[in-house]
Amino acid sequence: MKRYLVVLLGAILSFLACRKDKVEYTPTPYELKIPSHFPDMIIPEDNPMTVEGVELGRKLFYETLLSSDNSISCASCHAPEAAFSDPNQFSAGVNGTLGDRNAMALINMGWNTAFFWDGRAKTLEEQILQPVENPIEMHESWPNVVAKLNSDVNYRNMFFKAFSTTEITKEYAAKAIAQFIRTMISGESKYDVMYKFQNGFTLSAGDQDILATVTPSEWAGYDLFKSLNGADCFHCHNGPLMQVMKFSNNGLDATFTDLGRGAITGNSNDNGKFKVPTLRNIALSAPYMHDGRFTTLDQVINQYSHGVQMSSTIDPLIEYATQGGVQLDDQEKDLVKQFLMTLTDYNFINNPDFREP
Amino acid sequence: MGKYFFLSVSLAVVAGFSSCKDDKVEEPEVPQDPTLRITVQPMYGTETLYLDSTYTTPEGYDVQFTDIKFYYGSVFNGSETLIDAGLFDYRERGTLLLEASGKVENFSNLNGFVGIPSDNNHADPAAFPNTSMLNIAHSNDMHWGWNPGYIFMKVEAKVDTIQDGNALFDHLVVFHIGKDENLQSANFNSVSWGGADMLRTFALKLDMLNFLQNSGSEIDLKTEYTSHTAPGQEAISLKVITNFAASLSPL
Repeated sequence: MKRYLVVLLGAILSFLACRKDKVEYTPTPYELKIPSHFPDMIIPEDNPMTVEGVELGRKLFYETLLSSDNSISCASCHAPEAAFSDPNQFSAGVNGTLGDRNAMALINMGWNTAFFWDGRAKTLEEQILQPVENPIEMHESWPNVVAKLNSDVNYRNMFFKAFSTTEITKEYAAKAIAQFIRTMISGESKYDVMYKFQNGFTLSAGDQDILATVTPSEWAGYDLFKSLNGADCFHCHNGPLMQVMKFSNNGLDATFTDLGRGAITGNSNDNGKFKVPTLRNIALSAPYMHDGRFTTLDQVINQYSHGVQMSSTIDPLIEYATQGGVQLDDQEKDLVKQFLMTLTDYNFINNPDFREP
Repeated sequence: MGKYFFLSVSLAVVAGFSSCKDDKVEEPEVPQDPTLRITVQPMYGTETLYLDSTYTTPEGYDVQFTDIKFYYGSVFNGSETLIDAGLFDYRERGTLLLEASGKVENFSNLNGFVGIPSDNNHADPAAFPNTSMLNIAHSNDMHWGWNPGYIFMKVEAKVDTIQDGNALFDHLVVFHIGKDENLQSANFNSVSWGGADMLRTFALKLDMLNFLQNSGSEIDLKTEYTSHTAPGQEAISLKVITNFAASLSPL
């Protein structure tokens, strides 16, 4: 009798254990926290946002198994404390191999329409696939990455929970990381309050408190930033995203060692053009420009003020190019710099949801 | 007894199922309106205009247009509204101006504006639906930092003003025209819709040579090369957008 009881108990226990291991596909829609002054984010129909997908993407973003020697993750070149960019001029790939462009800051990427400095990827999902196999970055093959992830039961469960799949693929991995990156929304800087105030939005009590801290110098810097006869920055850095979606030759060089967009399109009229980046969190995302040639904001402001180089593809919006730039004096440069500092969004940088899980 | 009972129940079930099927009301087919597509082909006189290619101005300078964009706003005919705005962006969207659903018979005439009428011009650009070209995600660099609203039309170019045989396009041209007072009507009567069935098309042309030499309102790019519709630029702004609207006509 006792023996039967033991067997019965064992059966019940193993049943319960099995139940515990059972992984179900019950995706929970993820609600993006989009600031009131932002447009809606257009989510690809084949990659709807889910809590499970974002959770998986976050884990993969910090996963070093994506690289050939298991040393590098996405976060290695997109570090949270550097506004998800790389403080080094060129990022070091596997074995210390250096690239030739500065890693772009990952901020509000869900609204972007072209990816990489040269726009060679049209979607976030497409972009995410590339660094893994790039020899100067992760230098790994996707089949190897998939095999490594497949050997981890936790990942197998997470992929199933996110996509109802028992087969891990690079496409699912890219979708998950894309979902996570779409959650990385920055819209709570001092600039956002200034923008909302100037445009008649209702300000919350918290906004009112921030507004009270905006200094006359910051307002003056904002005016210069938007002024045609001042710094004239707003043609390319505008609106809530602080960028326009275009490629531009902003007058860095008279001749080009890096063709930028032109290398992708094959059109010489695109030579020397690069994607216009956002200026959000610009104070934290040094160095600057596609090749990270400037280490400080002062150098950047000086460049636009006196260092613009004419070339055949110069953006006509660099209207003072023929005289070398917008010719700001020292006081104006300082005001513009003070305004640029208002673009820092500490809530974004310190958001625990974006940190390594 | 059991057999009869079973048969009765089965019959009842079958009858009930059949009656349910009979009761099913077919969804009425909603007739779909065709897509009305309007395109704009930039020209330079009689030749097709391509961005970054070289043309000669009436004054003899070489010019390369690098960007041509404009809004065709509040498109309607009588009480029928076609769309809140179409956006022409030659570099990014090719010759497409707009696509919207509608019946061709309702749009035998097209009324609209080069630009955005005041009510939409000063509305929250983030609040328009995703499908609207007025949404800031689509307007992109065609929206100023709010107060002046949308840029109605944009022409950017480079000119070689020194006729010495060296192609040095160092004279930059930037026309960004907006503000309510510069809104221009652009109406087309007796529209002849092409295409067939569910896709009907209407083609316009935009003659950039006419833009420069519009009768009595010529633009010499050597001396008239910039306007952001800023204070002091009222005259050139009006001239530019008037010439632009006058250069649109059925292809």
